Amino acid sequence: MLCVPAASLLILGHQLYLSGKHDLSTWKGGGMGMFASADTILNRYAKIFIVERDGTRNPLTQFSQEETNLLNSALEYPDRKTFLRAMQKIAQENWTAMRQQNPVTIFDANGDPVATASEAFHIMVPYGRRSGDESQRRNIQVEFWKLAYDPITKRALSTLAQTFLFKSEELFPATAD
Amino acid sequence: MTASSVNHFGSSLRRPSALRLRAFVEFVQRLDLVQTINVLTLVLSVIFGFEHWLFQTVARICLLVFVLQPRVLGKPAFWLVLSIAGTIATIVDWERIDNHKYLLDYWLWVLFIAHLFAEPEVLRRTICFNARFFLCLAFLAASGQKLSSPSYRSGAMFEHYLYTDSRFTAFGKLIGIDPSVPDAVQKRIALLRSPFAQVEGNELQIPGSERARVAALVLTWWDLSLQLIMGLLLVIRRSVTDVLAHILLLFFIFTTYIPAPVFGFGWILAVMGFTLAKEKFPRIAAGYVICFAAILVYQVPWRDWVLAAKF
Repeated sequence: MLCVPAASLLILGHQLYLSGKHDLSTWKGGGMGMFASADTILNRYAKIFIVERDGTRNPLTQFSQEETNLLNSALEYPDRKTFLRAMQKIAQENWTAMRQQNPVTIFDANGDPVATASEAFHIMVPYGRRSGDESQRRNIQVEFWKLAYDPITKRALSTLAQTFLFKSEELFPATAD
Repeated sequence: MTASSVNHFGSSLRRPSALRLRAFVEFVQRLDLVQTINVLTLVLSVIFGFEHWLFQTVARICLLVFVLQPRVLGKPAFWLVLSIAGTIATIVDWERIDNHKYLLDYWLWVLFIAHLFAEPEVLRRTICFNARFFLCLAFLAASGQKLSSPSYRSGAMFEHYLYTDSRFTAFGKLIGIDPSVPDAVQKRIALLRSPFAQVEGNELQIPGSERARVAALVLTWWDLSLQLIMGLLLVIRRSVTDVLAHILLLFFIFTTYIPAPVFGFGWILAVMGFTLAKEKFPRIAAGYVICFAAILVYQVPWRDWVLAAKF
């Protein structure tokens, strides 16, 4: 009679540990923390960049449902392994840069554009299948951000929580040797 | 549930409403507790179960087997198959699965273990014990996690989700928060998420509304108080406190799952509440049966209708 309750308490304790120490979302992992904190993918996001060999980077934004699911898993539990799993899937795409570069716009706190940043990016699209060409082996950088809302000041503040860099050898482990 | 009780219930529909209500309560009272719990849990598994293809396939096959051979619900192997499928689905997607799905898996294992016992009384006590345990755990652990969360206590969580979670937009409109408010907030926050934008200081002013702030504070303390009180009342295990807990739980289920479309959680809370109420409080048990119907009715696309309506 007690084995299921005992198991649930162990899982709850595990979830509390992972939430406290490893940033697992309180909405996941077998705790009872749904609607207990602002800690879902509405408050967590990632900016993903493909990093060329010369160090330039371009953002990746167009993902398939499967890639999005893997990315969301990583956002819920932002561990290097979970992000690597997602990036290995994303890296399989043949990311191709659109010709025109888009400048990064700087906005003020009211959402009004105030300047143009020195950085500019190409829009990257998944186009066709990868050729396996070594020159296409790039690194991927992931910036994991957390968004907090202050109801007193009515301001949303984003904080860069972690940055991961995945080298091509990690993204393509089967053919790395 | 027998054919004669269904016929009796059907004929009572023609009588005045007080008599119909009494007939409905008597109908619920005559239901077999374990059989009803089995059926309700199977429905939960099929309609609100895990999204993983393995569990969905197993649940649908189990439904088919039940339709062809209803007595299979009394076999432990039936529940073992569902439990294992649920456990695999949980392990595979553990980072993405909502917490209440774990509760479904626990409940499936409870039914498997309960059905291992040949004696009906032991089976009934196992199910009732676990129903009370998980209701207490769900509400008290949730209360603890809410109280320990600064974003919950400040009302920030509910206010933020009234703006950013599209599932709450229709509910917000009903309480006077125009949909243009969450639209504006989401457009503003998109600047933070976009790699083609930089926000000075990574900080944005949110064009919210005072009504959302007030609603968030009300939701925050109403939800916490309700859950804490229900958990504590159920721990005490007296008839008086149980009745109060059930009334609050019915109120909670009827009201919460209008704005919050977490129907599987509502259903399993109702299953557990029904388990505890069925033998001792038949009228309350009848209330839970109406809960199940209400949860299904809440599936209608009322959010689309509200958002399309002009007011």
